Amino acid sequence: MAQRRTIGALRLPLLAVAALFLLVTFVARGEELTKERGEFFEKHIRPVLVEHCYECHSTQSEKVKAKLLLDSRESVLKGGESGPAIVPGDPDASLVVQALRFENFEMPPKGKLPAETIAKFEQWVKEGAADPREGSGVPAIAAVPTIDFAAARQQWWSLKPLQFHLPPAVSDESWPRQPLDRFVLQRLDATGLRPAAPADRRTWLRRVSLDLIGLPPTPAEAASFEADEAPDAAERVVDRLLASPHYGERVARMWLDLARYAEDQAHIVGKDESLLYPNAYLYRDWLINALNSDLPYDRFVQMQLAADLLEGDESPNVAALGFIGLGPKYYSRRSLQVMLDEWEDRVDVVGRGLLGLTVACARCHDHKFDPIGTEDYYALAGVFASTTMFNRPLSAETEKADAEQKDNKEVENGKKAAGEAKDPKQAMHVVRDGSPMDLNIFIRGSVENKGPTVPRHFLRVLCQGEPQPFASGSGRRELAEAITDPENPLTARVMVNRLWGQYFGRPLAASASNFGMSGEKPTHPELLDYLTLRFLENDWSLKALTRQMVLSATYGQGSGNTSQVSAFTDPENRLLGHFQRRRLTVEQWRDSILAASGRLDESLGGKSIDPQQVSEGRRTIYSRASRLELNKLLAMFDYPDPNVHADRRVETTTPLQKMFVLNSPFMVEQASALAQRLSADVPDSAYAAKYQRVDLAYRLLYGRPATDQEISLGLRFLSQGNGDRIQQYAHVLLAANELLYVD
Amino acid sequence: MMNTPFVSPVSRREMLRRTAIGFGSIGLAGTMQAAGLLGRAEAGTSAAAPHGLHFAPRAKRVIYLFMNGGPSHVDTFDPKPALQDHEGEVPASNTMRKKKGGYVPSPFAFAPRGESGVVMSELFPNLAARADDLCVIRSMHTDVPNHEPGLLLMHSGNQQPIRPSMGSWVSYGLGTENENLPAFVVLAPRRPVIGPYLWANSFLPGAHQGMSVDTNDMQVDKLVTNLNHPSLARAQQREQLDLLNQLNQLHLAGRPQDAALEAQIQAMETAFQMQSEAAEAFDISREPQSLHEAYGTSNFGQQCLLARRLCERGVRYVQVYYLSKDNNQPWDTHTNNDEGHRKLCKDADQATAALLGDLKQRGLLDDTLVVWGGEFGRTPYAEIQENKKPGRDHHHTGFTVFLAGGGVKGGLMYGATDELGMHAVENRVHVHDLHATILHLLGIDHERLTYHYSGRNFRLTDVHGRVVLDILA
Repeated sequence: MAQRRTIGALRLPLLAVAALFLLVTFVARGEELTKERGEFFEKHIRPVLVEHCYECHSTQSEKVKAKLLLDSRESVLKGGESGPAIVPGDPDASLVVQALRFENFEMPPKGKLPAETIAKFEQWVKEGAADPREGSGVPAIAAVPTIDFAAARQQWWSLKPLQFHLPPAVSDESWPRQPLDRFVLQRLDATGLRPAAPADRRTWLRRVSLDLIGLPPTPAEAASFEADEAPDAAERVVDRLLASPHYGERVARMWLDLARYAEDQAHIVGKDESLLYPNAYLYRDWLINALNSDLPYDRFVQMQLAADLLEGDESPNVAALGFIGLGPKYYSRRSLQVMLDEWEDRVDVVGRGLLGLTVACARCHDHKFDPIGTEDYYALAGVFASTTMFNRPLSAETEKADAEQKDNKEVENGKKAAGEAKDPKQAMHVVRDGSPMDLNIFIRGSVENKGPTVPRHFLRVLCQGEPQPFASGSGRRELAEAITDPENPLTARVMVNRLWGQYFGRPLAASASNFGMSGEKPTHPELLDYLTLRFLENDWSLKALTRQMVLSATYGQGSGNTSQVSAFTDPENRLLGHFQRRRLTVEQWRDSILAASGRLDESLGGKSIDPQQVSEGRRTIYSRASRLELNKLLAMFDYPDPNVHADRRVETTTPLQKMFVLNSPFMVEQASALAQRLSADVPDSAYAAKYQRVDLAYRLLYGRPATDQEISLGLRFLSQGNGDRIQQYAHVLLAANELLYVD
Repeated sequence: MMNTPFVSPVSRREMLRRTAIGFGSIGLAGTMQAAGLLGRAEAGTSAAAPHGLHFAPRAKRVIYLFMNGGPSHVDTFDPKPALQDHEGEVPASNTMRKKKGGYVPSPFAFAPRGESGVVMSELFPNLAARADDLCVIRSMHTDVPNHEPGLLLMHSGNQQPIRPSMGSWVSYGLGTENENLPAFVVLAPRRPVIGPYLWANSFLPGAHQGMSVDTNDMQVDKLVTNLNHPSLARAQQREQLDLLNQLNQLHLAGRPQDAALEAQIQAMETAFQMQSEAAEAFDISREPQSLHEAYGTSNFGQQCLLARRLCERGVRYVQVYYLSKDNNQPWDTHTNNDEGHRKLCKDADQATAALLGDLKQRGLLDDTLVVWGGEFGRTPYAEIQENKKPGRDHHHTGFTVFLAGGGVKGGLMYGATDELGMHAVENRVHVHDLHATILHLLGIDHERLTYHYSGRNFRLTDVHGRVVLDILA
């Protein structure tokens, strides 16, 4: 049996605390208030309280801090969030005295009071804290609101059970191609809007290729699709793309952002290599493979939280544990404060990443908007406090060799736990169970201020009835199962919504990682539920879900706001009356460039690369992700900070990006390669050949033939000026907006 | 103006997205005034706050001179004669290191300087002449005596690498004054401890990250990456841009009303202009020899000179790190503190004084805030290491930072540590208070410069911070 332990000594049952409190009160009340003592209070204590404390701690305060009042005897004894403010007779145990001494609190905040003043308080408390003030009892301060979890489950959209909605009848029965289209058209109908005309075939093909595999179609693929008049031509394209090994590379990208994937730490002191994870890529490769094989999403999540506990240490799925194992480690991990910060990261990546709840907001106080108590926060944080990161040996040989060589003293000293690899190069950084422990609540997040111990359990609002404490080891397995329980309405909804965002540019609920009350409600709640139920029906298949989305009429619409009416009534296109034109991600953009220049290396998986290297042809997803120093190309093009979970990419447009496009060695090299390709594929330099080169360039880069006007502009440029004109021309086409955007 | 048949109403969110152009865009202050993102100006002050700021700004830009490692307050700006009386006495309180020695007085002579009588040690002969411009806060305190969390706290208000840096917040709030230059530039000859996270935008849009410039080689094309095409002449590149512009316009013509595409076209043109503008701005070889001599030939001196050039041309926030070739936190004088400070202060004194004088002479000091300090101070007692001259250890409960220019009272010594320099006791100023004050001087209410992320509004000062009104001019 695993042992339970708690952090800190406070395990007094609540009842005992309450009894003590009553006793204290009783003693104080019974204290004989001599005249002398009353005078002492009036002379030395009250003026100080009035001058330095009442601003924040009286019934007259604009804002009472820490729920603590100091303007009546009763309220002093009752205390605030941290407990009674004084313990009569015991200055050292009295919070007020401690605060004046700047021990655990520093009060007053403007500066320590003179030593004589503090000594008076000590004396006052020691002598019983006589307090002649006649309070009107403890004035009412709004008590911590008790959270009504059941009501929240019934009232808040994201916490309600999934509901089936029949796809509605619509004004134009010929428009929908998928049931989901009916939900979209119904909303447009209700607003008097019409969907946009469908995108042309080439546009749709480039769009769906970039969306599903992150690469543009080849000229041959474009020509063949254009010539394919069979009614199932689009379906065959989608099936081909979903079967492509590049599909996993594209979808994994979304996951890496939300998993705040990185291969090192922001705090690296000197040449410390223990915080570098050269084999972190195994987690990335695991994601790509799992997505390519369409591992059901519930299993996908379970493996990342608890593959070791569900399938044993020998399972090939233990690489999935990088989800937690590659998370940030902060400086000075021996400090409890620092570990509390780390556990917040884990709670956050699980809370926002998997459940769409900002659980971490409840670390210092009950969540201000959502039904999540501080108690819930520490119940989850305890799971991660019971889990340790470690270097799992990559092979049995390494493990054996290390075990034989290992300095046994290190193991004994606890510096290196058994089964851990010495050399990070021979290991992957994942997690395993440590000693199971329940955490105290830390009141207001302060490490000095311990509240009661909380057993590890799942979020109350997602439990029917009283949550069952996690009983097995750290509780990771139970947590994984609770998260992926089909009765939990959030997990599947959150993922369906994210995937929608990938393909339509905006998730149905725009705040994809915040389904709480401070987030945005879905524009089409019934559609979201409909798709989520289909998702569960299809055994959590992401590919089946994707197929419905990209084969829809909604997805097939032309881009851009072409209707004057909708430009006014729906400028943000929340109603999906046209396709949202999008800038490519840095991955799609760089990979498109490589595909056009002919330098793309399509090999799958493996060690990380530097995407700025001129000779580097591997796909951008394989870029080394660093918390210490994010690759400049990635950082410049809005790759998110891997120190924290990212729910979306914020797009910025800067001249620095353009200077990279115009002048960087990488772009110059790609222009040269593209020029060579154009010349090689069309060898003759006669006029007709030049014409064909221009046209070929457009097909390679933008998936379409060049127009007459574009050809004449190109020919004019090629026939004038100095230097290698074809390379200069290729560079211009690489820098164009058309390559950077998808219609 | 584009000739568009009609203008669509744009939501605030969409407007934010569309206006995210330029280096840091033109800042919330400029673009978001109508949207009220910065909140309303205080009643009665709106006339004085013409840019939609919360207050009338006293400073338009900041130069933050960072002394990596933590300078010793008792050897620089906070004289403690009582250390003499207690010399050798080992402090009673627990300290982080075991090998602590007794209190040790500073070997340096202190004297009041200028008309105001601001006191500093003999290590600052040049700054002595600028004493009346200095606002010395002797009562700083921070949360931890470790470099990493201390640096992060001083830069971002949080000990963990999960929040935007102050420069990024300022860029987000105010934008750049010159669209052809970035709003936030970081100068360092190598990577300081922690490194890039000290100028990270974190959850703010990417345009607000500090543009880091390796000043190891001050040649302008080495300073700014991708500044020039490796082989094409400017005229040839102009031809490319002309064609590109035509193609982009053709592309745009079929896609009317897409502000994002227009922003891309604009950014490309700005980049082309910037190649020459940045080449000029970052080129300190254009400065007269006399100024080079005034600032000194040290890397720190050269960086200060570059910082002035950048600020003069509209860069909003310049962070300058004092690092040396062989040390990424040279002020961390665990051994041989006295000799170390003698050397470090020599460069720091010359360059800082030259910078203040130069700014003043150009009329820039009035609206440029200069900040000087490290992540913490150093112990008033000695750190003893075997066979080495004594040093001083990290010290976070009382230390000194000074400000100059941009709306602070010159010639002021503010706050105090106790008689031994151990703890800030009078008018204590926490890091959050310093941040709140810097934002205030820039016209920003630190409680109202927020960014909505992860379900709530975040700010530089989290739930803390108090403007130190006493030091405002």
